[in-house]
Amino acid sequence: MKLELKEVAKSLDLPQGTVERWIRQGRIPIQKRNDLCMFNKAVLKKWAKMHNLSCNLSETPDQTEPDDDQVPDDDNDNLLSSMKRGGLLVDVPGNDAEFVFRYVVGRIPELSTENKDALIERLLQREELVSTGIGKGVAVPHPRSPMPEAISESLVITCVLAHPIDFKSIDDQPVSVLFFLLSPSISCHLNLLSRLSFCLRDNAFVSTLKALRDKHVLFEKIELIEKQADGKG
Amino acid sequence: MKRFSMWRYPARWPLFRVDDRLLLIFTGAIVGILSGLAAVALNRSLSFMFDYLHRFRGHFLAFLLPAGGAALSSIFLNQIIREKPGHGVPEVIYSVSRYGGLLRFRSSFSRLISSCLTIGSGGSAGPEAPVVMSGSAIGSNIATLFSLNDKQRVTLVGCGAAGAISSIFNAPIAGMIFTMEIILGEWSTVNIVPIAIAAVVGTEVSHFFTGDQIAFSHRNFSIHPLDVISCVGLAVLTALASIILTRMLRRMHGVVAKVSLPFWLKAAVGGCAVGLLGLYFPDILGEGYHSITEMIGGIFEAGILAAALGAILKIVATSLTLGWGGSGGIFAPCLVIGSFVGLFFQRGLTVMFPYVDWVNEGCYALLGMAGLISGILQAPLTGIFLIVEITGSYEVMLPLIVVSAFSTTISRYFEPASFYLKDLVERGQLLRPGTDSRVLSDLSIAELLETDCICVKKDMLLRDFLNIVQKSRRNYFPVEDEKTGHFIGMVHLDDIRPYLFNRVMYDTVLIEQIMNGKMMTADISDELPAVLSTMDENGFFSMPVVSEKRFVGMISKATLLDQYRKELMVQTSDT
Repeated sequence: MKLELKEVAKSLDLPQGTVERWIRQGRIPIQKRNDLCMFNKAVLKKWAKMHNLSCNLSETPDQTEPDDDQVPDDDNDNLLSSMKRGGLLVDVPGNDAEFVFRYVVGRIPELSTENKDALIERLLQREELVSTGIGKGVAVPHPRSPMPEAISESLVITCVLAHPIDFKSIDDQPVSVLFFLLSPSISCHLNLLSRLSFCLRDNAFVSTLKALRDKHVLFEKIELIEKQADGKG
Repeated sequence: MKRFSMWRYPARWPLFRVDDRLLLIFTGAIVGILSGLAAVALNRSLSFMFDYLHRFRGHFLAFLLPAGGAALSSIFLNQIIREKPGHGVPEVIYSVSRYGGLLRFRSSFSRLISSCLTIGSGGSAGPEAPVVMSGSAIGSNIATLFSLNDKQRVTLVGCGAAGAISSIFNAPIAGMIFTMEIILGEWSTVNIVPIAIAAVVGTEVSHFFTGDQIAFSHRNFSIHPLDVISCVGLAVLTALASIILTRMLRRMHGVVAKVSLPFWLKAAVGGCAVGLLGLYFPDILGEGYHSITEMIGGIFEAGILAAALGAILKIVATSLTLGWGGSGGIFAPCLVIGSFVGLFFQRGLTVMFPYVDWVNEGCYALLGMAGLISGILQAPLTGIFLIVEITGSYEVMLPLIVVSAFSTTISRYFEPASFYLKDLVERGQLLRPGTDSRVLSDLSIAELLETDCICVKKDMLLRDFLNIVQKSRRNYFPVEDEKTGHFIGMVHLDDIRPYLFNRVMYDTVLIEQIMNGKMMTADISDELPAVLSTMDENGFFSMPVVSEKRFVGMISKATLLDQYRKELMVQTSDT
């Protein structure tokens, strides 16, 4: 199999300059053919093994492209798509956190019954630790550790409560808007939380949330703020 | 056309495609033949000059002959060929370690001619180093002609050196070991086979042209255990002689540097002095193979004092010839001095212990030669095998080992580096394979560059800078001048830490105010060891690298360790 210099350098995790020098010095096995240097995959692997060098040649062709695309997809997923997947729930009934959690989790179609119970338990555990009420009448309930077995794609469920409830928030104000953050990985969770808190810095936006009825209004607003943040950052 | 160009690329011949070791054996043999021929040519022209000039030796102006020879030789080397003076072996060693054995074509004959002029006219120097230089240059140029890589070229340089030494002394093993011990400094199976073949071929070439009239003929000795014990004393004497010769040569270089004369006149002055010494003691003139043969054969008639005087005068004559600008090596003078010392020692023993049956003086002359070679070149194996091959008997092995081992140990105590390597060690250019300095010299700063730093402008606000910090994976942020693009300073994450939680500062502080503008930088063309020592001295973990005042990346010890390990693994596990 033919390999390019770039590929060889990448598989050995070396700068191209070093591989070129090794060719010149005759340290790395090559075959010359009409002024072309050819690497033989099998020979190269054997050589790397003999010299105790790490050489991940087999994975290289598969990894090159997805490597760059997949990571941002996974971790840097934007808030908007997660919100669209989670949807908006308005006039959520209930007088305490547990009732609201049961109501909302019960409306996630992807989850099995056991997973739903587990998720509610984890959400409550997290609230016991420190309240997720972040002030201004907003809370961001989430489990302490991600649940990749239950959740394959990140979800942000926006809930507007019928009546504000006590949530032991940091500013002691009752909470009327909740964003449920459910993510398959910690990095994804942190990314969503960071983006959400950026949106919530906007007081005008927060004040409109309590009267929110149409999800398209919410999505438009979020898209706008995210664009601002991305453009700046 | 294609077929025509095929000969230039033997690596593409079907035979050598199977295994490139065959290619090295084939080219090694060619190099062996050519360097053997070079050695024969020098030997022939030396004996021709010796015979031709012999008729003038009796003349009272004969002392001017070495002067003329040395002056001509230095003019030839300096003006016509424009090469550095000296015997050339350090240059070969340095080229092998630094430039993959690349040597100029003219080196393949320059030293042959210049040393022929010096030695043939009577100057006291050796033809071995010039022949080694020629053989090596022939090997290097053949490798270039056949477009071989650096590793193969180094092997061919070794083949050239081995072929040359083998051909001169009719001693293939000594040639091989000289190459491994002194020129290459490593023993690897890839090298050994082609070098051995070149050594054998070189010897055969010299056989073919000179027949059985080889430099030194085989002898047999019966060694008594007392002789072995007495060798310790001989080793002390040979070590002493080695130290005196080394120091005297160095002193002479110091003295000559202070004399303000044209270089050719300097060489003439040295040659003149040698000529005057030669009027009274002709054995010290030339490369001295003739007197060595006499001493080994036991037909050297002069007494004990003459032997001592011979050793001292040969040391003086060699320092005068080489120190003042003559061209040639140190190998043959070592052999002559060694024989004189051995002779002196044996005669001293016979005077002190007249009833002991000491082995004859020829054997002691040979042991003295081994002692001197081990002392000066600090290459005990070369000394041992050279003498074993000259004598052709294994009985001398034990005293040889005793003399060589003790002589090397004692002289290393006073002179830590051998004669060939001394200059390189002083300049920090001794880069033996698999050593720290070699790995560092092979790695270049460009290969270690980390280019994932984000450059910032000096009039950027802290708020904008924080946005960049969010995106970056590094702690360092180089600051560039907007107009010129020149590197003007560096911001480290630590520098902004005090203002990180003070939002008022976000729109009031400029990067220019936070940055460190006195950051030390490395240039991309700097040598790695120098940059590394700057980092060590200042306790830096990383340093910015600039090229034409523009920032090009960072160099850090973490990346260096990673690359250093890989380089070391590749360099040391070659088989």
